[in-house]
Formats: sequence, C-alpha cells, structure tokens
Amino acid sequence: MDCKTALALLEPYLDNELDRADARQLEAHVDTCAECAAALTRLGDLRQSLRDQTLRHTAPPELRERIRAAAAGAIPSSAAAPPRTAGRRAMPQWSRLAAACVLAFGAGGVSVHLWNSGQNPAAVQTQVARDLFASHWRALAAATPVDVVSSDRHTVKPWFAGKVAESPLVRDFAEQGFALVGGRLDYVGDERVAVLVYRHGQHVIDVFVAPGAGSALTVEMAEQHGYSLTPARLGDQPAVIVSDMDREERSRFAQIVRSAQ
Amino acid sequence: MANSWVGELAQRHLDAAYNLGRWLLGNEQDAADAVHDAYVRAARSAHTYAGGNARAWWLAIVRNCCLARLSSRQRDAQVQSIDAPGVAAALPRSADNEVEDRAAAAQSSARIASHLRALPVEFRETLVLREIEDLSYREIADVLEVPIGTVMSRLARGRALLQRALAATEAQELSHGL
Repeated sequence: MDCKTALALLEPYLDNELDRADARQLEAHVDTCAECAAALTRLGDLRQSLRDQTLRHTAPPELRERIRAAAAGAIPSSAAAPPRTAGRRAMPQWSRLAAACVLAFGAGGVSVHLWNSGQNPAAVQTQVARDLFASHWRALAAATPVDVVSSDRHTVKPWFAGKVAESPLVRDFAEQGFALVGGRLDYVGDERVAVLVYRHGQHVIDVFVAPGAGSALTVEMAEQHGYSLTPARLGDQPAVIVSDMDREERSRFAQIVRSAQ
Repeated sequence: MANSWVGELAQRHLDAAYNLGRWLLGNEQDAADAVHDAYVRAARSAHTYAGGNARAWWLAIVRNCCLARLSSRQRDAQVQSIDAPGVAAALPRSADNEVEDRAAAAQSSARIASHLRALPVEFRETLVLREIEDLSYREIADVLEVPIGTVMSRLARGRALLQRALAATEAQELSHGL
C-alpha cells in the first residue's frame, strides 16, 4: 500500500468503517511508515479531545418532562396552531411551538424530507432524473465514487444486505470491458437505492438498482451535459445506467446488463 | 396509540437530539424548543416512517427543525444588519454556556469546544454526529440525507480544519510565552 492510499484510509480506519482486509493492509503500512503513523497519531489525538465528555450536552430535565407531557397529551394539529405574531409566552407551550415549527418550515424554505411521497408522476419523473444525474456527479467529484471498493461480487453483494430492501444482482463484466469497481448507497427521491459502479476505459458508470417492486426508480432515456440515463433491467429489478459513454457503448453495456443472470 | 413509540424513541435519544440542537443552534432555549418541535413533527408524521434506523429518522427530523430555526434566525439578523453575519457569527454566545463553564478548568476542552463552534455548520454537524454521538457513516448519511462519500469528505475536511485551528492557537500561545 502506498502513502496516498494509506492517508485516504486513515479516517475510515479510525472510524471503524474499513473492512478487515483493508484494515490489516493499512496497519502493515503504518508499521513501516513513520509519516503515516504520525498522521494516524494526530487523528487519534483529535479524536481523544473530541470524545471529551464535557463536549456532550445532556438534555435538561425540563425538556424531558415537556416531551413526556406532549406524548401523554393530544398531538396538536397545525390547524389549531395560532399565528406567530401573538405574544411569545401568551399561549400554551405546545401550540406556540407547533406554530413556530410549521411557520419556520413554510418561511425558511427548508424542506423536510419525510419518508413519504404524493406528487404527480411527471414531477416525480424529472425529480428522479435530476437525482440520478446529481448522484452520479457528486460521486465523480468525491475522492472515490464508491463506498465499498471491490471487484469481487462476493464482497459487494453482502455489503448491500440490510442496507436496501432487496440486494441487487452483482456481476463483474470485466471480460466484456466493463470492470466492477464497487458499490455505494444513495438517495433517489426518498428511496435508498443500491448503486453498482463499473469502469470502462476512462468512463465511470453507475447502475442504480430499484429497491423493490413499486419503486419510483423509473425513468425514460435522458441526456444532460453529455451524461445520459438509460433504463435497463438487472436480474428481475428495474435499473438505470448513468454514464458519459457514447450511444454505441451505452447500448452495448445496457445489453450486457440486461442479459446478466 | 400510534404515537407512543415516537415518544419512547424521542426519550431514548433525547440527549443525542438535544446535543445536536445545542451544537447547531448554540443555546439551551433554542435547542430545547427545536427538539420539542421535532417531537411534534415526528409524532404527526409517525405513519411516514418506513422502517430503517429509527434513531437516524428521529435525528433527521431534529436536524431539520434546527436548520429551520437557524435559517429564520439568520433572516431576522439580515433584516437588522446590512453586513449579514456568517453561520458561525449567527450563533449567539450565550452567557450561560455550561459547556464552556464546566470546561474552564480543562483549558484544552474549552479550546476544542470553541473551535468546533467556529466550524461551518456542515462540518460541525458531521463531526458532532460522528465523534460525540458515535454514529456510523451510514447513520450520518441517513440523518443528513447525503451520500456516504459526502459524509467522508466532510469529516476529512472538518478534522483538517480543526487540526489547523488547534495548531494555530498553540503556536500563538507559544509565541506569547505561555
């Protein structure tokens, strides 16, 4: 392992997010490299000072009591909430707070992403397409486009287990020129989806796999800034291919993905 | 009652919620109010919870309530002052900040607390969830609703910023002969 790789892995290592094989390789490197060992020590020191218990605020008993009282009583409806212009202490505690929260959300432009959706299909379509492109670009901009790095499908598949409703079919198409790089998780709309990452020459290819039946992850063919969405199927799950490959390579890859078993 | 589990969830992770609120909003009153707002929201939208990590679901709601408060506070501040303050400056330095009081004896704790408070909000919240609340990358990604890659880059950036700030303070103290 070289220093560049080691330095990138120090934090995941310290955070217990590295798999055992990578951790062992990193440890072997740190044992022989004073510079990386020093960097690990510095990160460890920082960790130590951040884990200082005085940094953690504990909830005051009044708040605990307030939540208990709210849970025991009726849940206020937004219709019953008074306007914000009323005196700060004039009305019952819960209704003032409910109003404040509702108003803050309406006015602040902060959208709450609650685990539901009830929009019209066309809007959902564009939103899904936007999310797919955004996810692909974010991943390209990150140091590495994958959360689990592996060309071994037996590593990638179990990694998804328990993270998405249905683990995708994971196949390496290296022989056909599309090597499996790894996988990651991402959000599309309000769904958490599995993303398989392949490499073809200079191209990074994301295959988003729908989490299960009834998923909103369906799009039509689309293009944006030289990147494209191609609907496909992987095993028995709907999938979308996102890449900057040209039309010919794109359809060849889509064909390979469709015929995977 | 469908909401009773939300009440239990909120109680179980009340310290985590309040701690996140304190680090996002800076003072006790706002943090407590935001957590209460979050409880009301969570109870009302309990039916939208579709499985998965309940603590992350709850903390995501808490965070959204905190950010809503933060943004309305910043808007108010902009109305009052033309040179709008940055996120760090928008955090009120409350007199009764018990964290910094308690830490007065331990100078290094106070130092790290003040540097953490000075970090831009996206790095601060990610570090608080990882280091103080001990959430995994996956859970943090669920709370912040960002990909894991973003969690990793924010942690790396936040840690680098903290290390630099701490080193700068140290150098300053040395040059003053402390």
